[in-house]
Amino acid sequence: MNLAEGVQFVSLVILGGLMIFSALGVVLLSNIVYSAFLLALTFISVSGLYILLNAGFVAAAQVLVYVGAVNVLILFGIMLVNKVEVFSEVKNAWVGKAATGAVCAGLFGLIGTMVTSHPWAISTAPAAGDKAIEVIGQHFFSDFLLPFELASILLLVALVGAIVLARREFLPDLVAPQQEALTLPERPRELVAAGVRDED
Amino acid sequence: MDSANIAAQLNAGIILPEGIVIVTIMTIIITDLIGGRAVTKWLPYVAIAGLLLAVVDLWGQWAATDPIAFLGAFNGDDLSVVFRGIIALSAAVTVPMCIRYIERSGTALAEFLAILLTATLGGMFLSGADELVTVFVSLETLSISSYLLTGYMKRDPRSNEAALKYLLIGAASAAIFLYGMSLLYGLSGGETNLSLIASRIAEDNAEAPIGLIIALVFVIAGIAFKVAAVPFHQWTPDVYEGSPTPVVAFLSVGSKAAGFALAIRLLLTAFPMVSEQWRFVFTALAILSMVLGNVVALAQTSMKRLLAYSSIGQAGFLMIGFIIGTDAGYSSIVFYLFIYLFMNLGAFTCVILFSLRTGTDQISAYSGLYQKDPLLTLSLSLCLLSLGGIPPLAGFFGKIYIFWAGWQSGAYTLVLVGLITSVISIYYYIRVVKMMVVKEPQEMSDEVKAYSDNDWALVGMRPLQVSLILAVTVTALAGVGANPLLQLANSAVAQTPLLQRSVLIRNAEIAVQPGHESTPMANDAVADVAVSSVTID
Repeated sequence: MNLAEGVQFVSLVILGGLMIFSALGVVLLSNIVYSAFLLALTFISVSGLYILLNAGFVAAAQVLVYVGAVNVLILFGIMLVNKVEVFSEVKNAWVGKAATGAVCAGLFGLIGTMVTSHPWAISTAPAAGDKAIEVIGQHFFSDFLLPFELASILLLVALVGAIVLARREFLPDLVAPQQEALTLPERPRELVAAGVRDED
Repeated sequence: MDSANIAAQLNAGIILPEGIVIVTIMTIIITDLIGGRAVTKWLPYVAIAGLLLAVVDLWGQWAATDPIAFLGAFNGDDLSVVFRGIIALSAAVTVPMCIRYIERSGTALAEFLAILLTATLGGMFLSGADELVTVFVSLETLSISSYLLTGYMKRDPRSNEAALKYLLIGAASAAIFLYGMSLLYGLSGGETNLSLIASRIAEDNAEAPIGLIIALVFVIAGIAFKVAAVPFHQWTPDVYEGSPTPVVAFLSVGSKAAGFALAIRLLLTAFPMVSEQWRFVFTALAILSMVLGNVVALAQTSMKRLLAYSSIGQAGFLMIGFIIGTDAGYSSIVFYLFIYLFMNLGAFTCVILFSLRTGTDQISAYSGLYQKDPLLTLSLSLCLLSLGGIPPLAGFFGKIYIFWAGWQSGAYTLVLVGLITSVISIYYYIRVVKMMVVKEPQEMSDEVKAYSDNDWALVGMRPLQVSLILAVTVTALAGVGANPLLQLANSAVAQTPLLQRSVLIRNAEIAVQPGHESTPMANDAVADVAVSSVTID
């Protein structure tokens, strides 16, 4: 094992450990904000793994999409509906947890056996390395042209659907009688006194 | 290189029907943006015209000489043509139902139509997708549009709840399905084309590796979610109850047909090595679906939940044709899906009509309807009796074809379970009919007492009426004049190379050792198929 391989091995161990512990934290911690940040850490360690595999483009995409978009969205979601609620303790909650743990351990054992026992066929195509973006682009415009174009329709309809779900609708029956200046016609809300904000 | 040349190389003419649907979606969105409220009332007719044009074009694609398009990503063989036709037709019958419903709910019609057509588009691509990435993208197009449609009535908490449940369970099942697909990709050494995956795995392994079986289980979980087979059915009753009724009508026919098309193509092409195993798993799913779907339906008080459980049971019947895997089995699926399209959509049209006039879909509210609205009573009775399989309605012929095909190939347990559960299903369908027909005037429900049916002149009621009459006429007469439909189903199966290859293997299995492990002869056939598919590619 030369120096480069040693560095790679050490990074693999660090990244793997980071990934496993942050993923466990996502599931086990009861504070949802910690879970969300640990999820970001998991995504980042996965992207580090991609870099070790010489897949720079996938690593960048992973950070952009998962950390930059998905995780920020989750944090926004938490921020907007952050309602503190005290849940009463469920009796015998450990039964459910133990069952879940057993199922997960079983699945892990099964998939682990499969991964170690199977002689995996390695693709014969030469490694793309730094030319990955070119190779991906060529695939997009040759054999993956159809799914690539279909994805644009998918994105369009997701956009339309998001707007449909998020836009305000004018509700004639809900126009409030106490409507005042600067309130929105469809959602009357309490006006905050001007002085309150300054004290914050 | 000019564009005509590129289109010819990609064989892009094969997806012309989908192209027509895409153009229709764009027309609807842009016309609505520019024209505003003035043009809204024409948009449903644009949608119907586009869908029917796509069906006509599919007719022109029948028995295409070179069905592989987009360098192997899409396969336009006759099996896919038939399924794409069923999905497009189901959307075309759904659109007239939704005009009045959307009008009453006070939501925007244009976006609803655009999302519905995108769901149709996803289903159509899924029926012909021959490659993993295309399978997944088209599956997601169908699923995401379905989630959006389910939650379209955003001021109705039940619709929100249904959408959230559907989204969460759907996302989980999509993740499991994707894991299964990634295993296939890895096992085949980096292939995404379904037939190449099968041949590569067969080359590298003498017998099925354990990874292939795990991939099979994960893939089946994804498919069974789409067709709502027990035990992956938990979302169905809640989603059907909460969503807008036209959406339920589409989900129960179009989405289910797309699921079956995916099941047939994916399992037959990519998993020939474990065909015994998937037949076994699907046998279990079919028996569970038939028993649970039909038995739980007995206890329902809401009409939409009743139809939800009945659709689970119907999926069980359809799976019989798929499990036996003979010529007759596959064509019985196609035939039954055609009939199921009209009888189920007819039943949902009646439910929509009744809930538009009374605002409820409780079964008890239907009592005494015969006195007030004979047309609705007759239509709903015909559709329900046909779903139950009473002769001489279309559903009877569909069921008997499936059971006959099953009996011929020796699937006695499945056919017996099917027969017993369809007797159970007749009970709960007839219960609704009895409720409507034989009640005395004093036992009429309050909703029916306050009932008025002179509203046909209102906006959107005429299309609803047309859709109702069409569905009921086909339901009543398709059984008697079934010959062209049967011929269509038979020739679709006979002209699909994929099905013919697997039918040859299957017939060899049945002839040598019915109901047992695959025989050496069948294994030879598997090897032959693997070799032939390699040489074709």
